[in-house]
Amino acid sequence: MRILVVEDDEVAADYVRKGLMEAGHVVDLAPDGDLGLEMARAADYDAMILDRMLPKLNGLELLESLREAGDKTPVLILSALGEVDQKVEGLRAGGDDYLAKPYAFTELLARVEAIGRRSDPTAAVTKLKVGTLEMDLLARTVRRDDQNILLQPREFRLLECLMRNAGQVVTRTMLLEKVWDYHFDPQTNVIDVHISRLRGKIDKDFETPMLHTVRGAGYRLQV
Amino acid sequence: MLKAIGKLYRNTLFRLSLLGAVLFVVSLFVSLGYVYFATISSELRTVEKTLQAEAAEFQETYNSTGFAGVQRAVIQRSAGFEGRYLLETQNWFVGNLGSAEMERDDYVPLSLIEGEPNKPFVPMQFSYKFEDGELEDLQDRRISALSGFLVNSEGEAVAGLIIGRDVEDIMRTADRVKNAIITSSLIALILGLISSIYVSRRFTRRIDGFNRLATDVRAGQLDRRAPRNYSEDELDLLAEHLNAMLDHIHRLMKAMRYAGDSIAHDLRSPLTRLRTRLESTASEVKNEAASDALWSAAEDADELLGTFDKVLRIARLEAGEQREMLQELDPKAVLDDMAEFYEPACEDAKLGFQADIAAGHLILADRGLLSQAVSNLVENAIKYTPAGGQVKIELYRNKDNRVVIAVTDDGPGIPNAERERVKERFVRLDKSRTKPGSGLGLAMVDAIATLHEADFVLADGMTSDNGTGLSVQIIFPRRRHLKPSLKDKS
Repeated sequence: MRILVVEDDEVAADYVRKGLMEAGHVVDLAPDGDLGLEMARAADYDAMILDRMLPKLNGLELLESLREAGDKTPVLILSALGEVDQKVEGLRAGGDDYLAKPYAFTELLARVEAIGRRSDPTAAVTKLKVGTLEMDLLARTVRRDDQNILLQPREFRLLECLMRNAGQVVTRTMLLEKVWDYHFDPQTNVIDVHISRLRGKIDKDFETPMLHTVRGAGYRLQV
Repeated sequence: MLKAIGKLYRNTLFRLSLLGAVLFVVSLFVSLGYVYFATISSELRTVEKTLQAEAAEFQETYNSTGFAGVQRAVIQRSAGFEGRYLLETQNWFVGNLGSAEMERDDYVPLSLIEGEPNKPFVPMQFSYKFEDGELEDLQDRRISALSGFLVNSEGEAVAGLIIGRDVEDIMRTADRVKNAIITSSLIALILGLISSIYVSRRFTRRIDGFNRLATDVRAGQLDRRAPRNYSEDELDLLAEHLNAMLDHIHRLMKAMRYAGDSIAHDLRSPLTRLRTRLESTASEVKNEAASDALWSAAEDADELLGTFDKVLRIARLEAGEQREMLQELDPKAVLDDMAEFYEPACEDAKLGFQADIAAGHLILADRGLLSQAVSNLVENAIKYTPAGGQVKIELYRNKDNRVVIAVTDDGPGIPNAERERVKERFVRLDKSRTKPGSGLGLAMVDAIATLHEADFVLADGMTSDNGTGLSVQIIFPRRRHLKPSLKDKS
């Protein structure tokens, strides 16, 4: 993916660029809001990482003028302001995701890749398929190797989230936000317990496991 | 209606101005009464004195000229308009006070006369119907009179005498004055009542303005100010001072938030870099021991930042700005989600899990904050209850008709003396120092409860071999004034 990073802190920007390039993405850097807006208008990016507090033009203003001009580039807002109402503010301004500083790089990578793919014209999917694992979103059924798998409603949403991001790391925080709509940090291993239950249903009776734990990051569903 | 009157009567200013009006009416009544006595009564007393003098005159006339003289005098005077006379013996009577009754056969002579011989004449009041041509209509005319007996030189009664004056005109004036006094007092009372209501309404409206302002400010609308009319009366001055105070509070809160936000920004950015550096180095080094150490260092940085975030979050909760986010909701949905979220974790920790969640108890709350609070409580219960124990989430209405969210366990519990202390920031009991945690969990629940105007109570839970257990209850206020004002938001 081609990603634009708008961040005034050089060291932070450099790390983000380095990390994204290692993951195989092409990265452009903009050190302030004005330049960021100019670059976003000039080229067609797959995703944009936008710091909220920027010199010249702040992140939310940049985002608003971008959206007013009809630019739909997926934007991840990065900010030290991490309260729920501040997140809501960022999402209302047109952001696709919001990540509070500090963050683990894996979290940032997972989220950027998730919103980057969202721009694919797959808006009205009714079926998801990863290898032999199939999910029918209308009938609410899941099959693997033509065997029906019965899931609780929340397990279904958990699996849906993993399948939509198949092959990519999905972090615990992402699951917490997208599956449960919780914006706090559980101090216990509660997400791991839910994952292990899901694993018991989709992997236990089959030869090759699909749901993998990625150390220090989260989970990945892949063939 | 009765309720409205009761409400009006509880209004201090209404009571005061009503008291003023009543005192005014009483003094009006007293001074008009004085006017009455000074005019009408003194006139009536003058009449009585005249009559006394006349009575003495008649006795004088009798002494000097005998019956004939008296008779002549009575007849003479009876011809005038003013005086009314009756001179009566056992056999005859003269004067202009006689009546048809006295002509009848069964009339008892002297029965009209009051008083006794050799005593002063006694006053009489009566009405008399005149049929003579001087008065056009046959009205009852009120007469003020003296009645008594004329005596001879031996002191024996020789004739009864009534000397009267027609006081009808005076009495009519008196009646009119009395009516006027009563009517004007009533009018003053009604006007006083109306003005009391008006004054108190007017005043109450301004006081209500202050009350609304206080409620709004407490609900987080820090930019609201009291309206002023610049009359510089005491309420206007109160508004001025109140506004100055609110400006000051607003400035302080802004300064605090600014400090908080910039600390967050200025400290978090370098910490983020530190964390990123640790993380990227950890994934690069080949030496496994060094890599593990770097991963742990990154986790420590996370913990440090997490604690820091929580402190800022509690400070923001205590500032109360988020009170505007509160909405009416049924906490059942929130708690059902929580129960579903934590049930597997309890099972994993070998704890029995129960949820007893009643429906239909609406409260004013924020879903996110409520989830955060309950999550902290359930995680505490999971952390401190030994395997084999019980954890229970409940939602019910208590006997005070207040909605309660309770998380109860049968773990070691918290001694009574420590229950208030553990709500403070960074307070951890010695027993729990070995467990992970920052000592901010209950402080955050306390801040969230306060934001919801709820009470936060720690009590005994389910008793077991482990101890008394702990029941943590968030007791919401009865639904009343706490309404979010959303009118300023679209």
